[in-house]
Amino acid sequence: MTGSTAAVLGLVAMAAVSLGAGLFARRWARTTSDFMVAARAVPPRVNAAAISGEYLSAASFLGIAGLVMQFGYDVLWYPVCYAGGYLLLLLFIAGPLRRFGAYTIPDFAEGRFDSPRFRRLAVILVLIIGFFYALPQMKAAGLTVHTASGLPYGVGIGIVALVVVAGVVGGGMRGITFVQSLQFAVKLFAISIPAFLLLLHFSGTGVPFSRGAGGLERLTNATQFQVSPGELWQIPARTNVEVAHPASIGWQRQRRASILSAPSAGFEGGTSPTVTVNHHRDHLLRLDGAGQLPRGTVTWRSTDTVTIARGQPAPFGSGTPASSTASWIAPFGPLAGGTGHPLLFTYSLIMAILLGTIGLPHILVRFYTNPDAKASRRTALLVLVLLGSFYIWPPILGALGRSYDPSLYGTNLTDAVVLIMPSQLGAGWLGQLLSAVVYAGAFAAFSSTLSGLLVSLGGALGHDVYGRWLRPSAGPAARRRAFQLSALGAGLAAAALGLLVEQFDISVLVGWAFAIAASSFFPLLVLGIWWRRLTTLGASVGVALGGGLATCSIITTMVATVATPLASFLAHNSSVAVVLSQPAIVTVPVAFGCMVGISLLHPTPPKGVSSKMVQLHAPELLGLRREYIPE
Amino acid sequence: MSQPRSGALEGEAENAASTGLLEFEEQTEVGELYLKALMRRQVRLSLGVAGAFVGFLLVQPLLAWWWSGWGVLRIFGIPVSWLVLGVASYPLLIWLGSIYVRRAEEVDDEFTDLLS
Repeated sequence: MTGSTAAVLGLVAMAAVSLGAGLFARRWARTTSDFMVAARAVPPRVNAAAISGEYLSAASFLGIAGLVMQFGYDVLWYPVCYAGGYLLLLLFIAGPLRRFGAYTIPDFAEGRFDSPRFRRLAVILVLIIGFFYALPQMKAAGLTVHTASGLPYGVGIGIVALVVVAGVVGGGMRGITFVQSLQFAVKLFAISIPAFLLLLHFSGTGVPFSRGAGGLERLTNATQFQVSPGELWQIPARTNVEVAHPASIGWQRQRRASILSAPSAGFEGGTSPTVTVNHHRDHLLRLDGAGQLPRGTVTWRSTDTVTIARGQPAPFGSGTPASSTASWIAPFGPLAGGTGHPLLFTYSLIMAILLGTIGLPHILVRFYTNPDAKASRRTALLVLVLLGSFYIWPPILGALGRSYDPSLYGTNLTDAVVLIMPSQLGAGWLGQLLSAVVYAGAFAAFSSTLSGLLVSLGGALGHDVYGRWLRPSAGPAARRRAFQLSALGAGLAAAALGLLVEQFDISVLVGWAFAIAASSFFPLLVLGIWWRRLTTLGASVGVALGGGLATCSIITTMVATVATPLASFLAHNSSVAVVLSQPAIVTVPVAFGCMVGISLLHPTPPKGVSSKMVQLHAPELLGLRREYIPE
Repeated sequence: MSQPRSGALEGEAENAASTGLLEFEEQTEVGELYLKALMRRQVRLSLGVAGAFVGFLLVQPLLAWWWSGWGVLRIFGIPVSWLVLGVASYPLLIWLGSIYVRRAEEVDDEFTDLLS
């Protein structure tokens, strides 16, 4: 089922093209400022493609389809808000920030408030958000290489980290516009063509939403599942199975406690200790050869190969709550409904993703490459068009996956549904070709975002931490080396951390990075640009408190997956669990409130705020400022 | 990477011929008023467009909460709730974005004409 020559070829080809294009670009762009100046000549169309190419991460390419397959309607908020975040960026940020000439958030923090200390705080948050955002990309890398070649998860992460780090260290930011616009084209092609062809292929068998309406998804092919000791299956209805070795298995009649589907709905892999609740109620079952699994939850006790025939109900692994198709289609299904507080959860999710886009560390850089505010706005509008044409497709693949390959629930491979679905078109040349294309798209997805993040993280570490705090006297060559070493270090650190997050869903991890960004940098940018009375103190406290609270609550949620007492506390206090796992609905208002409240109580606006406002808002045609030229 | 040059407000002499621009450039109270008026127009435009989209998003969970038929309603076998959120959102985003870009450019141009 997994692994094919075509898939590996697709990965290798995309890696080679990315590295090759980077190297080629290196020959005609020598220095950072060469790159920046050259980028000014880039038309908005190409620039918009590059921005979209960098933005469409593994969470968009793989994660959304996987989550839609698991949880249904509620997941649609992710793609819509990923795109909607760019509308807010267009409305509030794109024009003024380009005029201001700041091209990272720390630049803006320092420039708007004349405070190097505030810059440090911003740099620390850039590092936190950047690492959080790098983790799911690493997970996607491990997963993709694993499904393509069968290599272990960790090996896949290592290979991809090396390729991406080599590209960033070797090429830096040079030529990245070209590579990223190419990567956008690959991603759009790789998601839309397979989804379209699969829709055609299955069009004779009815739309996905009408199949399985009886409440069960049934296997479309005879499937072999490899099970290991401790692995959990939720069996929605009596299922005939065949085991290779005689086995004794645990069985619980009732559905498992709601912990599995709540609070963050992101636990995958079945290694979490929280699933041993009510262990003493297990019954023992014996299976010799052919047998039947009863409805409920079964726990495998030994390593085995289980064969289930076509037409039998699909078993659900521990990552996905066994939901009926009706609840999967309806709003407040297993994702939001499973938390016990569907409205609270949904609104908090919308808030985090819609507002978080603006605060991601690698997003604003690219807007600086526009010649003026007008081009910056037009670029953002084109980005909306490109993102919209992409985000229609992943949910379609997820919905097709539920109907036509539900075996992925049992294997906990829903995150790979985009990669695996093309094989439904058969082993002929078309299936092989599409398989190669989706793997190339997946590589483009995590490598483009990882490159952007490593440039941001390397810049923050090399330029700020080294060049300003540790050795302010360092020359350009030393700084360049510091940038390269930092990017290398950041890449290795992200890869090491990536090994720890295999059990979390890609989009859930990304949602956390968005929540931290929404609670810190979003209020900073919006108030900093539009409210002249914002003071340095107010802004710093707001950023520290909002970002800090969001980070702490998310770390608490992660710790709860390995600490049983915490998990059982959260299981009994579901509203607390919802807020901790999806904190934006509390932390964003806290950050805004702090900024406004403190600024009004201690009205000491930074010096020269009027001229800052002129810089931000006066149209360029007035000719009020000298053109900003980077180092 | 480098930081913006703060306080760099060096207008070119030939552009600063009119009094409006002079007021503006020298940050007199009149200039402040001009700028505040510009910012107010721009932020109203932005908030209006943002409100339309955010309202479109926020009303859907409430709709599903109060009316259970929202999840069941179908057209050509596809749930309407999926079509509204998963498909119609994108043309709406693009339409709102293009309205905003046109209006924001108009506001900037009117302001430029007013001062020069």
